[in-house]
Amino acid sequence: MLNRTQPPAISQISQLSLPPVQQIQLDNGIPVYVVSMGTQEVVKLEVIFNAGRPYEQKPMISRATAALLREGTQKQTAAQIAEHLDFYGSSISSPFHMDTVNLVLATLNKHFAKVIPTLAEIIQQPIFPEHELQAFVQRSQQHLQVDLSKNDVVAYREFTALLYGNEHPYGYNSTAELYNAIQRQDLIDHAQRCFTAANAAIIISGKITPEILDLLNQHLGQGMPKGELLAANWTQAQTQPSQIRIERPNSLQSAIRIGFRTFNRHHPDYHAFSLLNTALGGYFGSRLMANIREEKGYTYNVYSALDVMRFDGFFYVGTEVGTEFEKDTLEQIYLEMEQLREDLLEEDEWEMLQNYLLGNYLGVLDGPFNVAEIVRILHSENLPMSYFSEAVNAVNETSLEQLRDLAKKYFVPEHMFQVVVG
Amino acid sequence: MIQFERFELANGLKVLVHEDHDTPMAALNVLYNVGSRDESPDRTGFAHLFEHLMFGGSANIPDFDAPLQMAGGENNAFTNTDYTNFYEVLPAQNLETAFWLESDRMLSLNFSKKSLEVQRKVVVEEFKETCLNQPYGDMWHHLSKLAYQQHPYRWPVIGLVPEHVEAATLNDVKKFFFNHYRPNNAILVVAGKVKTEEVKVLAEKWFGDIPAGPVPERKLAVEPMQTEFRELSLDSPVPLDALYLAFPCPERLSPDYYAMDLLSDVLCNGSSSRLFRRLLKEKQLFSSIDCYHSGTLDPGLFIIEGKPAEGISMEDAEAAIWAEIQDLIDNGVGEMELQKCKNRAESALIFSELSILSKAMSLAIYELLGDANMLNEEPENYAQVSAADVQRLAATLLQKNRCNRLIYKSMGPEHVGSFVGAEEDDDEEGDLFYFN
Repeated sequence: MLNRTQPPAISQISQLSLPPVQQIQLDNGIPVYVVSMGTQEVVKLEVIFNAGRPYEQKPMISRATAALLREGTQKQTAAQIAEHLDFYGSSISSPFHMDTVNLVLATLNKHFAKVIPTLAEIIQQPIFPEHELQAFVQRSQQHLQVDLSKNDVVAYREFTALLYGNEHPYGYNSTAELYNAIQRQDLIDHAQRCFTAANAAIIISGKITPEILDLLNQHLGQGMPKGELLAANWTQAQTQPSQIRIERPNSLQSAIRIGFRTFNRHHPDYHAFSLLNTALGGYFGSRLMANIREEKGYTYNVYSALDVMRFDGFFYVGTEVGTEFEKDTLEQIYLEMEQLREDLLEEDEWEMLQNYLLGNYLGVLDGPFNVAEIVRILHSENLPMSYFSEAVNAVNETSLEQLRDLAKKYFVPEHMFQVVVG
Repeated sequence: MIQFERFELANGLKVLVHEDHDTPMAALNVLYNVGSRDESPDRTGFAHLFEHLMFGGSANIPDFDAPLQMAGGENNAFTNTDYTNFYEVLPAQNLETAFWLESDRMLSLNFSKKSLEVQRKVVVEEFKETCLNQPYGDMWHHLSKLAYQQHPYRWPVIGLVPEHVEAATLNDVKKFFFNHYRPNNAILVVAGKVKTEEVKVLAEKWFGDIPAGPVPERKLAVEPMQTEFRELSLDSPVPLDALYLAFPCPERLSPDYYAMDLLSDVLCNGSSSRLFRRLLKEKQLFSSIDCYHSGTLDPGLFIIEGKPAEGISMEDAEAAIWAEIQDLIDNGVGEMELQKCKNRAESALIFSELSILSKAMSLAIYELLGDANMLNEEPENYAQVSAADVQRLAATLLQKNRCNRLIYKSMGPEHVGSFVGAEEDDDEEGDLFYFN
């Protein structure tokens, strides 16, 4: 007779290492990370430039430049570029990152030769047509209006502005006025200054053949100016903790964000603090989820997160709760932090968290695109490839006392920035 | 091409196995053939609420999530109009933990009163977060009601009103479980670094003794053919005006499904597509525009939606869409244009086969449609579509007297932020699915 009360035996994950990533250089010196894995005939090519917010000379220029690269070159109109990429079932996107401008080409192997010239062309010969800029500004302003009607969006914007200040590269928010201030010349200048070989890196992942690497070198290894490594325009913010409440009288839910500035991944406390964050609100079994959702039913989702950038990071708790539960939710969030300051994690809970994270790490090593994403983070934040094993080791080696001491050091109510919108 | 093996247990549970030795992970996916279309009209939203209750403890296991996390795994689930899908992804060596957990909750839930009470509240908060406290968040509520008069697609997956969710009782829960959550109403797929022979042993061990049940025969009302233009205009505290044109369209298994899918791509998939390129980029009549279809097992909706650009009247914006439809009906689609859409469909298919979870889910869904191997015939199905098919579909589907028009009129900036109903995410299918 099957005993269903007895869980099957679990075996520990022993092998957790980043697969070897080949590093080569294009003729013009651009470093290339090659992640060749998997059986599907797909390629993802990500070009990364030091061109994000810390490298701007004016707010919003980084994102606007990235968005408008596809809108016309010396040889082709926006419509021709779109037609060509769509015909070959390929896409070029520019996912937002704070510190860098990233262009991601996703395509099937058999179309790579047809679309790599287009990627090179939009990087090397963009013309930023004035009418495309004006249309972009108008559309973006409309989208912004929709976003600003959402409490969670407003809460996040106010929170980052509170943390860093409205003028700081990590703190400012898009506004209709900032969109209006974008000039075509700003985009041309930004592209000329940042899109150079000295500021570039490439990650290519999927089923990568020598032919593909040859094509890559042919199109992106030539024609780009060498340039100089840019210095970031970044200083630490000097803001003080504060709490604000924005009234939205007819809201059914209040959006809450509570947290503080932390550090980047080079900080000695980073690994252990990241574990502490997971325990508090980083997975389904976390303290916040167990209490505020699964015990009290105040919300559909509550979490804590660590947003990490090249020069800094921040921690926050976020949730949307029924307005009638706002007060108690705030109390419970601070209570959960207090418990982590006062008591050690339960042994069972710690073992579950460790196993969960190791399983999670095994998952993030699964497949070429996942590995490429780890490489992207390591490159963008100036970390060595060995960093991945350090993170894995920290899961095994951090002690419960260390976690409690970190909670005492960082989960201090007087240090919290707090925004409530509802 | 996704290779798989299939077998069936004596209790009627269908099992599919896809071996992929390139990954260290395994995915276990269980699809139950029950969705919001199987609900009673006075208990809408129940299938989705029930999905939440599947995490509240089962006959022999008080907590679903903790043991899975202990095994290094993750899980989630979603509900749509037609089915409810649960999955675990975990290190392959711990696959048996997922078998243990999934089989115990198929055997029986523990029907905890506390879990029902809490999850009713959680789902009501989800209702607020995704529908009631979002601009345009009640779009599906209005469109479904307008376009369906008989078929249960007339209410959205989340439910007609939060009160229906709040009214659910433990008796409702028990009845629903023993009617629908039976092995003979489910499809189990295991994918990843697994061996088919081992999966056979595990499936028999953990699922073999679960009794089959008398799954009620599905007798859904058939939606009569729409023959008149229907409209609803709402004064709403949304920031911008918005337009939705919804047309009844063929069901998933219709021979016209692929031509219809390509028709929606011709209109608005990718930045070279007609509506995006001509109306948003060139004429600048819209600040956003999209076209998609619900892909449901019973006849669905083909939807064109957009927000007019600043200074553009709703009338002019809508007229431009109708002109594009007319152009397609009169002049059809070019061979190159159609080839482009087929190439995009091919890429999308291949990119969707990169993760074991999405492969496992696809196999389960195609098996529900009748045969998992249809997944491997998809490239050919798209290749077969001719330009004449797309033109014919445009002419038969996109008629004014089959159109359901929903308009949100913004009440102006001073009202924004207090939504009576619900809106839509960037993810175009966001409102069709509700996750755990």
